[in-house]
Amino acid sequence: MIKLQNITKFYPSKLGNQYIFKELSFDIPTDSNIAILGKNGAGKSTLFRLIAGSEYPNKGRISTKKSISWPVALGTGIHPEMTGRENTRFIGRVNGLNDLNRYEKKVLLFSELGKKFALPVKTYSSGMRSRLAFACCMAIDFDVYLIDEVTAVGDPKFKRKAKKALTNKAKLANVIMVSHDMLEIKEFCDSAIILDKGQLTFIPNIDEAIDLYQKL
Amino acid sequence: MALVKNRTNLEVWLDVVFAIFLREIRSKFNDKLGISWAVINPLIFIFLLSFGRSLLGGPITHSMPTLVFMIYGMLLVRLFLMTFGNISTVIKQNKQLLAFRQVQPISTVVAASLFELLVIMFVILILFVILYLLRVDATLNDPLTVFVCIIQVWLLASSLGLLFGIASIYLPELDKMSIFVQRPVFFMSGIFFSLQDIPKEFWHYFDWNPILHAVELSRGAAYPSYITEGVSLSYVFLSTLILTAFALFCYQASWKEALN
Repeated sequence: MIKLQNITKFYPSKLGNQYIFKELSFDIPTDSNIAILGKNGAGKSTLFRLIAGSEYPNKGRISTKKSISWPVALGTGIHPEMTGRENTRFIGRVNGLNDLNRYEKKVLLFSELGKKFALPVKTYSSGMRSRLAFACCMAIDFDVYLIDEVTAVGDPKFKRKAKKALTNKAKLANVIMVSHDMLEIKEFCDSAIILDKGQLTFIPNIDEAIDLYQKL
Repeated sequence: MALVKNRTNLEVWLDVVFAIFLREIRSKFNDKLGISWAVINPLIFIFLLSFGRSLLGGPITHSMPTLVFMIYGMLLVRLFLMTFGNISTVIKQNKQLLAFRQVQPISTVVAASLFELLVIMFVILILFVILYLLRVDATLNDPLTVFVCIIQVWLLASSLGLLFGIASIYLPELDKMSIFVQRPVFFMSGIFFSLQDIPKEFWHYFDWNPILHAVELSRGAAYPSYITEGVSLSYVFLSTLILTAFALFCYQASWKEALN
């Protein structure tokens, strides 16, 4: 359970403060794989970053006992000038892993980068980058994984692999996911939160949720 | 599965600073010259400028060898400019790292400023070796005061950089203004001259600058015969203390907004 208590979040702009959430209270369940659905600019990514602790709400607090991953988007924390291996070790250090070498091997195996692992990330294709970012996250045990359209760029083979890894984790961990690809969402998630006009609604059935979302 | 250590807040913080520190080294020097450039670059500068100065003023300046005279000025001013320049942009540059909840903006600042300190220590070490090989008569009467001056300038630069970095989050135009801090410091900190070269009635144009004080004091600490009238270590201490405290207050008040 991730508790949002009286969250207010706004971004200052030339037209005054742009409110994303106003005094929002909501409990996000963490016992199923959840898709976050909402129109462009509804605040999906903001919600994501708030849950991950990358940003803080202007008012209110977010509390949870679960360990939550960082928001895995395409380039998060990946430095283009450093090699895949160095980036992996950086992420491992920040997250406080006790065995960096093992972590490195696991990421290499999962991302299937092979020799390219020793080359700077700027030489990677976008598919390879997303594989690296995804592998770095999956190789660490979290209770909740936050995934932001990462799997979309991978080829079908990698998607199958990602799907398998996530299903294997499903007994122990869950996913919160943002994507505009409904097929992908159906594949990974079994419930959804619809985000509209600063309000959240939890819908336990994914098909129902997608119907509702498409009517918005 | 990779196990996550149970860490105290301090351990998390130290791990993050260390990780960013390594990253700083790796990402800054990835051409063939590598990290050696960080040391060679200031050396070239110091030797070129002191060569120019000795053409103008002869081999001895105010009772010390011109080369050594220039070295103190160049070292401290360079330390200031590099640290200030790097730190004022480091928060913006490493913004994407803040996605990790363990990484706070101050960790990137600390890592970057430690890096600058490490570089200057290396430069000093190599300078000493070169001075020894050139058989320049370099005395170092009071190393402790010189060390204190270096640390003060470093802290001062880090604090000013942090203030600038925070302010430029709210006012992006400030980035373009940082040159108004950097140029005066370069020309008014006594790299080429001593305060004694300036008529006393003009001192008040110069002696507000704590870097000038630090430069003069460290020259005086190395050569007791060097006259250090009109500068004071307490002034350097006080300005560092006030600026550092002010920068930390501002950081504490605004860091959560800085994450946006």
